[in-house]
Amino acid sequence: MAALVRIERLCKTYLMGEKRVEVLRGLDLEIADGELLALTGPSGAGKSTFLHVLGTLDVPTSGRVLFEGADVFERGEEGLARFRNETIGFVFQSHHLLPEFTALENVMMPALIRRVPRGEARRRAQEMLARVGLSERVEHRPGELSGGEQQRVAVARALCLHPRLLLADEPTGNLDPGTAEGIHALLADLNRSLGITEVVVTHNEALAASLPRRLRLQGGLLQPSPRAD
Amino acid sequence: MTVRRVPPVFSGASFVLAALGVLLAPAVAGLGHVLLGDRLALPPAAAAGLAISAAALWAAAGGAAAAAVGRRLAVLEIGVAALLLLVLELGPLARALPLLRGHGLAVAGWEAQGKLVLVLGLLLTAGLSATVAFIGATASYLLTGGGRFDASISYELFMARSHLRLSPRLLLALFGMVVTGVLPGLLVAGAWSARQAARERRAARRGEPFARQRLSPTLLMTLISIGGVVIGVMALVVVLSVMSGFEADLKRKILGVHAHGVVLKYGQNDFTEWRDVEQRVLRVPGVVAATPVLLSEVMLAAGQNLQGAALKGIDPATVGGATDLPRWVEEGKLAWLDHPADIPESVLARPPGGERAAAPARVLPGIMIGRELARQLRVFVGDTVNVVSPFGDLGPSGPQPKSRPFRVAAIFVSGMYEYDAKFAYLQLAEAQRFFGTGDSVTGLELRVTPVDEARFIMRRVLARLDGHPYRVKDWGEMNRNLFSALMMEKVVMAVILGCIVLVASFIIVATLIMLVLEKRREIAVLKSMGAGLPGIMKIFVAEGLVIGAIGTAFGLLLGWGICLLIDTVGIPLDPEIYYIDKLPVLMDPTQFALVALLAMALSYLATIYPASKAARLHAVEGLRGE
Repeated sequence: MAALVRIERLCKTYLMGEKRVEVLRGLDLEIADGELLALTGPSGAGKSTFLHVLGTLDVPTSGRVLFEGADVFERGEEGLARFRNETIGFVFQSHHLLPEFTALENVMMPALIRRVPRGEARRRAQEMLARVGLSERVEHRPGELSGGEQQRVAVARALCLHPRLLLADEPTGNLDPGTAEGIHALLADLNRSLGITEVVVTHNEALAASLPRRLRLQGGLLQPSPRAD
Repeated sequence: MTVRRVPPVFSGASFVLAALGVLLAPAVAGLGHVLLGDRLALPPAAAAGLAISAAALWAAAGGAAAAAVGRRLAVLEIGVAALLLLVLELGPLARALPLLRGHGLAVAGWEAQGKLVLVLGLLLTAGLSATVAFIGATASYLLTGGGRFDASISYELFMARSHLRLSPRLLLALFGMVVTGVLPGLLVAGAWSARQAARERRAARRGEPFARQRLSPTLLMTLISIGGVVIGVMALVVVLSVMSGFEADLKRKILGVHAHGVVLKYGQNDFTEWRDVEQRVLRVPGVVAATPVLLSEVMLAAGQNLQGAALKGIDPATVGGATDLPRWVEEGKLAWLDHPADIPESVLARPPGGERAAAPARVLPGIMIGRELARQLRVFVGDTVNVVSPFGDLGPSGPQPKSRPFRVAAIFVSGMYEYDAKFAYLQLAEAQRFFGTGDSVTGLELRVTPVDEARFIMRRVLARLDGHPYRVKDWGEMNRNLFSALMMEKVVMAVILGCIVLVASFIIVATLIMLVLEKRREIAVLKSMGAGLPGIMKIFVAEGLVIGAIGTAFGLLLGWGICLLIDTVGIPLDPEIYYIDKLPVLMDPTQFALVALLAMALSYLATIYPASKAARLHAVEGLRGE
């Protein structure tokens, strides 16, 4: 399979007052198109930072992120915004749904940002909510949904515009094991059926073990993580 | 290693465009005014309005181009351009001032009023020019900052609505509160809140759940900022309307006594062809009526009382067409100037016996004087008044004043103290005989329509008369000091009350900053979904504009209501002091529109800082702050 994303010598250094904190120290990675990749590692190892840089929410200190061979950070700020809108879907640990809007409106939001007409956005959102099994709850607000349902809405929102790359930052971190399994199954299913490339950060070693490719982020570098068994 | 594209802090191309907009805008205004007013001969108000609009468009276009080319708000570039304009104004322009005189440009007017006004005026020009350019730049950035033209506000409005949460009920309550004068509203709100607190305590004692409804702090701030705009707009509208009322009243009185314009002739006592000139002038479009007039300064004496007066010889038959004089007559009749024999005996009917004996058979010509003058001279209709002119016949010891008796034929009240105390009218032929001017007059008084274009119409009159030796004056010129003082007062009031709107816009800034801080996570999520900088900005600009629009609408409505109230109910004034018995109001739609424009422009400007702060928020920080 062709490489969708190639990461070259990626470094990210923060300044915390006078102290330099090197979170990522020149890591290299290739993600093939359609791959489902699990990323594990201890807390504070820089998994979220890595995901943010990969999703262009943060810029690397040095190194390159190539998407289909082109350096994404060569685009200007507006180019990056469009890139995120068209190519990337984010799922966060604490769903980050907009509390004042219904599930449907939340899922419509990326399409509205792309200036898809409202009716068309609504149709796509409904379709995506049906796909994550929530067609009965479209008019509910996030506060009226259970944790698992909220995260399903978040997944539907991330996939509304059929992105090439889905970045999930501990999507099941706040859920009980049963619900977590459901979300993971959903992510795996979407990877298979829609061919979306996914990078899933997780603490849950057992769930990670069920995924085809596993990486471990430690000391600012990536190591292949062997199957637990 | 790739070189990352980091936009430069200062864009040269942007600056050039901004400078073109900012620097040339005043020139566009000046040139436009000269071209439209002098060359195309448009009415002055229209010419000034069009010229200023053209300059504003030019500045806005310059700012817009600067923002589009530099892909930025161009704050720095426009700021530097404004400084450059200021330097140019205070340097080269100040030296070139003499060249600019005589075109009716504002700068010449400022210069005439002294250095301070000139510098303030130039500062204002630079500030306004830069502000308009900045408005253009921000609007252009909002529309094109995403790299392509995007005027859509679909999700932005969606978000803004959820932030503001203004229900019609809430707005109605706010309006009611402002209408009733805030304090009763606060009392009601306090009582309601106390009742809720009591219910909450009771529920807590019984161990029942009780959810108390509370206004969120940002919603409260939003309501306060709307209230601020309402009060500012209302105050501006009401005060300006009352001042316009005074101005209109004064204008009505001045124009009632005086003509809208006069035709004069250079030289002494040789305006004998006035009948011919009158016919020619009457054919000029806009001139409605004309009447000849002879003007001189005299002294009036009655018994021991002596008063200076401006004496006007008039033609009673045509004076009614050119002025409202016949309508002001309070006692006696204007026609008695022509027929002095009809003047009745004085009500006191006890003239000094000697005088009557001296001229028993002769009918004295009539004179009309103002009520104040009559009071000072202590005369009534039918009494005799001596008119004394210093320019008399040559006596043995040089020129001697000459004096002739007249009988008071009428007393008029114009409502203007100065006029009622100063003016006296004779029949034209009598005046000519008294002053020995033959058939010559001082000038022709004209009535024109519309009144506000008097200057422009008088210029047409002068053109018809082929200029020299004739000259014209309009009522604005004749009363320049009065009206420029009124204008100055109005401008100062507008600036001071505009400060209320300015403060209201600061509240909008504070409200929006609070909203931005509250919605940091939401902004970060929108960014992760690919919302661009202009998109995020649009959300908060829309919110500020909604606050401004609601406040402006309420303020205009309220101001209009108060004006109507003043107009119908009337606030009594002491007529001895103000010469008017109740507070005058004039509701001018243009003025209302200008106030609305000012309020909306300030609301818009207030949104820019919070909105750009929101747009520049770092997504990662917003996501982390959970």
